[in-house]
Amino acid sequence: MPAKKVIETKKLNRIFKNGEIEVHALTDIDMIIEEGEFVAIMGASGSGKSTLLHIIGCLDRATSGEYDLDGVQVNKLGKNQLADVRNQKIGFIFQSYNLLARTTALENVELPLIYDRTGQFPNSKELAQKALEQVGLADRIYHKTNELSGGQQQRVAIARALVNNPALILADEPTGNLDSKASIDIADLFVQLNNEGKTIVMITHEPEIAQFAKRMIYLRDGQIISDKMIEKRSTKAFALKELEKPVETP
Amino acid sequence: MKRFLKIFKVAFISIYKNRTRSLLTMLGIIIGVGAVIMTISAGEGATLEVENQISGLGTNLLMIQTKSEHKAGINVRMGRPINEKDFDILKKNSVWMPQLSPLVAIGAQAIGPSGYKSTMVYGVSYDYFYITSRALQTGSFFTEDDVRTAKKYCVIGQTIREELFPGEDPIGHQIRIDKVPFTVLGLLTEEGSGGMQDMDDIILAPYTTIQNRLYGHQNGYTMIMASALSEDHIADAEMEASELLRESHKIMDGDEDDFEIMTQIELQEITGNVTGILTILLGAVASISLIVGGIGIMNIMLVSVTERTREIGTRLAIGARESDILTQFLIEAIVLSLVGGILGIVFGILGNQIIYKVTGFFIPTVGYSILIGFGFSALVGVAFGYFPARKAAKLNPIDALRYE
Ligand SMILES: Nc1ncnc2c1ncn2[C@@H]1O[C@H](COP(=O)(O)OP(=O)(O)OP(=O)(O)O)[C@@H](O)[C@H]1O
Ligand SMILES: [Mg+2]
Repeated sequence: MPAKKVIETKKLNRIFKNGEIEVHALTDIDMIIEEGEFVAIMGASGSGKSTLLHIIGCLDRATSGEYDLDGVQVNKLGKNQLADVRNQKIGFIFQSYNLLARTTALENVELPLIYDRTGQFPNSKELAQKALEQVGLADRIYHKTNELSGGQQQRVAIARALVNNPALILADEPTGNLDSKASIDIADLFVQLNNEGKTIVMITHEPEIAQFAKRMIYLRDGQIISDKMIEKRSTKAFALKELEKPVETP
Repeated sequence: MKRFLKIFKVAFISIYKNRTRSLLTMLGIIIGVGAVIMTISAGEGATLEVENQISGLGTNLLMIQTKSEHKAGINVRMGRPINEKDFDILKKNSVWMPQLSPLVAIGAQAIGPSGYKSTMVYGVSYDYFYITSRALQTGSFFTEDDVRTAKKYCVIGQTIREELFPGEDPIGHQIRIDKVPFTVLGLLTEEGSGGMQDMDDIILAPYTTIQNRLYGHQNGYTMIMASALSEDHIADAEMEASELLRESHKIMDGDEDDFEIMTQIELQEITGNVTGILTILLGAVASISLIVGGIGIMNIMLVSVTERTREIGTRLAIGARESDILTQFLIEAIVLSLVGGILGIVFGILGNQIIYKVTGFFIPTVGYSILIGFGFSALVGVAFGYFPARKAAKLNPIDALRYE
């Protein structure tokens, strides 16, 4: 039985217009991501990684092309339906966390459930607490955003992305603001979530973080230039050992 | 409904989490509403006060005087003085003026057993008490007979009693008005200041006596005071007096009157102008306070727009619909405007009370000032709380998140 396609794009284009200037951020992206995959997207700055992820995450719309998400034709959806798709099918993790200020970890994680219209989460507090336990923050649930470290804030953001049990977890440089140790912890968390069956797409600049994924897509100038499975996946233990190696100075 | 309750809760949590901003916003509204209520009410209070004083003079009042003209800032009397002949003609022929009284006014020094005072002495007839509806606290008025026989009787106001008879009963005692002795027959009830002068700093005596002893006859009367049959007949009375006097003064058709008749209506017009200016002035002050309050609210809202736009971006990104955002911000704006507005009303009413306590100037809190102040502040609060949010909610989530 072939695995279910979570993402399928056909000739996806995104053109930014600023007056006279047109920027082709994405050109004819064809991509299929199946259930249970863990994909790392890499590429130079400005290559269109974020733009692609925003479209996949229904935060932005493609200029042209088709996009099916979990069997839903996203191009045909209206504003409210897009909001509902974001709410039910997607967990998005930003480089800059985007948590609400002056708000506890628990309240932040609960937020997607407040906007749920399906009525399937009557016990939102319990679910939020469970998600926080899942990311290892059981002892920080009543801490406010500004009382947490960067790594902890990103864990809150991940818990928020998990809480509504989405089909797809999208992360745009989730470790971009973190040190190596914290980055490895987050990458390991993604591996665990993936092992539990979550489909994950993650942008990263760091090859050693990308090595945690199963598949790597490389973008250049808005086009996919390479797309292959990762043969030797990294693990937390391995990455930490690499970290401890003394830096060779010539 | 459950959704609405959820969003309602979100809005309240948001107000609480951003309490500094919420309080500052409310402060703007409180100041705006309070200031409007106080200024508009003060204007209305002043108007009311002046109107009370005018009607205190007697609403059917007519004052017939020699024509005067403003020349270099001084009132110059033109034409013949109003005199006995005019009075007799009016008295004999008038249909619409049942009460008529000459009035001769002099400034004089009044000396009593325990004090003295410079005051206004009005020589009047018995009808004067009717015309001005003055009443007695103790004693009696002088009679028609006393006037005819020019008795040296007088009736005094409360201020005079205080100065001349401190702590004593003045009835039956003698006072000297510019050296002429008068017997005090009655004490007037307190009236308060009316129009330009203190209506209690007054001595009333028969006009005949004042003319004989103090004023002389050559200048006629200061004025003739009359009251019309009823308020509806003030215009008739004015017309009648005018016709009788023109005939008696032999004024040709087409020539101008050499006298003037002031009625309650004209007095009200004059004071209406004054209070009108006052109201405009206070309205301007109120507008300024509204603008200041409004700018305060606007500033706070605009300063927080970046943070709020990002917040909206976050909420949109995790699946809030545009309508969820709009509902939340509308509730926030309404709650802040409502609470701020109510506090502002309390503040305005308390302010009016405090002014009353401190200065004795009664300010009735007028209903429409509450409406204007509240309406405007609510408008500003909702406009600046809601519309930036509406703009942000219409953005792509990613554009809202990137907002700077
Ligand atoms: N809102 C926008 N308006 C105009 N141009 C944009 C906009 N967003 C992105 N771009 C352009 O699209 C291109 C791709 O941008 P994108 O943010 O996707 O790059 P990226 O691969 O995520 O880079 P980085 O690694 O630095 O985050 C860039 O050339 C950028 O200038
Ligand atoms: Mg990027």
